Amino acid sequence: MNANNVFIELRNIKKIFPGVVALEDVDFDVKYGEVHALVGENGAGKSTLIKILGGVYQPDSGEIIIEGKPEIIATTSIAQRLKIAVIYQEFNLIPDMSVAENIFVGREPRIARSFINWKKINNDAAEILKKLDININPRKFISELSVAEKQMIEIAKSLSMDAKLIIMDEPTATLTEKEVDKLFSIIKELRKKNVSIIYISHRLDEAFKLSDRVTVLRDGKKIETKKTIETNQDEIVSLMVGKIVKDYFSGEREKTDKGEVVMEVKNYNIADSVHNVNFKLHKGEILGFAGVLGSGIHHLLRSLYGAAQKTSGEVYFKGKKVEIRKPSEAIKLGIGYVTEDRKGEGLLNDMSVLQNLSIVIIKMLTFFKGLLIKEKKEVKVFNGMAKELDIKYANINQRIIYLSGGNQQKVIMGRTLVSECKVLILLEPTRGIDVGAKAEIHKIMTKLANQGISIIMASSELSELVNLTDRCIVFYKGKMVAEFNRDNMDEEKLVAAEIGKFSCSNN
Amino acid sequence: MVKFLKLYEKIGIFILIVVASIFLAIVSPNFRKIDTILSIIQQGCYGAIIAFGMTFAITSGGFDLSVEAVMGLTSVIIAMLLPGMGFIGAIIIAILASCFVGLVNGVLITKMGISPLIATLAMQVILRGASLLITNGRQVVISQKSFMLIGATKLFGIPTPIIYMVVLFIVFFILLNQTSFGRHVAASGSNEQASKMSGLNVNLIKTVVYILVAFSASIVGIIRTSQALIGIPTMAPGFTLNVLTITILGGTSLAGGKGNLIGTLFASIFISMIYYGLNLLNVQIFYQMLAVGITLLFALFIDGLRMRYLEVVKIKGIRV
Repeated sequence: MNANNVFIELRNIKKIFPGVVALEDVDFDVKYGEVHALVGENGAGKSTLIKILGGVYQPDSGEIIIEGKPEIIATTSIAQRLKIAVIYQEFNLIPDMSVAENIFVGREPRIARSFINWKKINNDAAEILKKLDININPRKFISELSVAEKQMIEIAKSLSMDAKLIIMDEPTATLTEKEVDKLFSIIKELRKKNVSIIYISHRLDEAFKLSDRVTVLRDGKKIETKKTIETNQDEIVSLMVGKIVKDYFSGEREKTDKGEVVMEVKNYNIADSVHNVNFKLHKGEILGFAGVLGSGIHHLLRSLYGAAQKTSGEVYFKGKKVEIRKPSEAIKLGIGYVTEDRKGEGLLNDMSVLQNLSIVIIKMLTFFKGLLIKEKKEVKVFNGMAKELDIKYANINQRIIYLSGGNQQKVIMGRTLVSECKVLILLEPTRGIDVGAKAEIHKIMTKLANQGISIIMASSELSELVNLTDRCIVFYKGKMVAEFNRDNMDEEKLVAAEIGKFSCSNN
Repeated sequence: MVKFLKLYEKIGIFILIVVASIFLAIVSPNFRKIDTILSIIQQGCYGAIIAFGMTFAITSGGFDLSVEAVMGLTSVIIAMLLPGMGFIGAIIIAILASCFVGLVNGVLITKMGISPLIATLAMQVILRGASLLITNGRQVVISQKSFMLIGATKLFGIPTPIIYMVVLFIVFFILLNQTSFGRHVAASGSNEQASKMSGLNVNLIKTVVYILVAFSASIVGIIRTSQALIGIPTMAPGFTLNVLTITILGGTSLAGGKGNLIGTLFASIFISMIYYGLNLLNVQIFYQMLAVGITLLFALFIDGLRMRYLEVVKIKGIRV
């Protein structure tokens, strides 16, 4: 063991992605048997940091020193050899293999080098599970386990590799309270065994319950490392938020009095994820939804668009009760949806910019109900929208994947806007695009709202919500916990409410 | 490399045809006659017609391995029904039965979530079995000689199968490139989730696509039955591979989202030229199978290169 008890130390770590400095001169260390909480807003650089530790990314400069020796973590397998285990939010388990097989995957005990020693693999697995006080049959298949159980298997797997550092990324986001307790007792057990843990969570109270030290990241820089007992949650929140950077278009919002109610949602429930949500959306309003992972916003908005099922609840659109069972019904009513997962459910990769924009309304642009596309009309619609949103492209037949992220986002927004929607649901509209394009998207949103379109924007960037929205509702574990309007909204209040620290309506 | 692939995407198949033409024109004086050329095109048009349908299937992100068995089913139904129902009735019922097969394929794939590969392979075996059952394992001779008019005659000096191919090409071309349905097919193959979020009924679109494939296969089944005047339950074994080769060689990407019917048309001619050339060389017929297999691998290789390289371009952010 080292004199200063440090297992791993990072010095001056820097990582640049095209257009973004993800990490700048970050120093960070973890001691043996320490639980070190890593906190920061989205985009602060937490995931980049753990991916560097896990061997997924290489730092552009800086040193990593493990047990006193400088090391280069070039691949994930090297990370494993250096006894570092990362438990990502999406688990790396093979669903159709047993618990024991998963724990020892790639390192199965063998007989005569060729045959898996089933007896040993199951016994060893059972022993590890017992050590952690986890009551799961090692012969069970992963696919039969709950999320919490899978997570425990991940931890068992890390231990079986003799991991000295286990990194947990948002481990409690999808767990019930009882499961969280169980996880905590395991973490405490690990600490006694001198295993170091980096614990990443949006839920500050958890970080405080568990950790020995807290490190705050913001905009890729390390702001502070504090002993947990020497600080408090309020201080950490203000460190996380810092000074508000004003690179936003705060917009000449025409000061609209609340217009008529366009959409109303009553007693909306989705099993497990959304509980009793009620809100009204006014004409020409930008309504913000804030919440961290597990807040249920994503499920709620998808369901309002008909892309997921609700359990119960009513939706009124322009005063009339409506049932939206699939996206085409939402589009028909005039509800548009712009996904946060541009690649997965936005872009039509193989198709042109033009075809990407027109796909929603292409049937309307034909003679005889679908037969013969009116090509001139299609181009005209495209040109109009391209001008409106200032989309930059080489020619209309260019494949969409060759556009920049910001321009792709504009095309996807344009796709929704050409269907003449009255309500626009935007999820993380500026995720993964650079600052200039961000300001442009904000400008477009303000313009749309001034034209009378109602916007619901879900964003994990609080400054964006504060600067842009007329009203902001905060969700925590599927419930609406706070509502702010333009006059009383600031980032600190939003952060506090997002992590469940603030729960009265301030309206 | 990227430039080469871009160029190949645009004109690769034409270059292949020009090279093959020059070669054949040199080694065979016969090749310079119009009749020979027509006969080459005619040999290719059976594969072409089904490949038009297959182009839709692959564009939509799917696949259909049941086409050769649909041909057999069509053939058998026609042979059995002709004596009682006459041309029109028999043909209509054969086509409807094929379309029903396509519908079942579509439902298996979209509603039951079976992989297109396995679903249509199972369908192939089922249809082969059913066709053999219907005829008791025999071939059925057709006594109405006039049925030959359908596929074994010429119109204005052009063999009728070529005319059918041209008509179907125009119809399928318009369908893929000029209608909202065609766009929807490409969108479904390009990104199914994005298509759903755009309000498209992807399941319905895909089901219609499988009906189209089966329809095109039944047309070829009818033509071939008319030429042979026999209902053959095991018609055209291995032909599906031919059809796939034509489609992929023509530039329709296995990844879906991008269909190229003009490429399909010319690829069918190219394959037919290979056959013709091999005949000239007087080699055993087995070499033809060899040639098709190798061509398919070549086409897949190019398609794979294209996917990989365009992916690299995308990652590096090079504008092309």
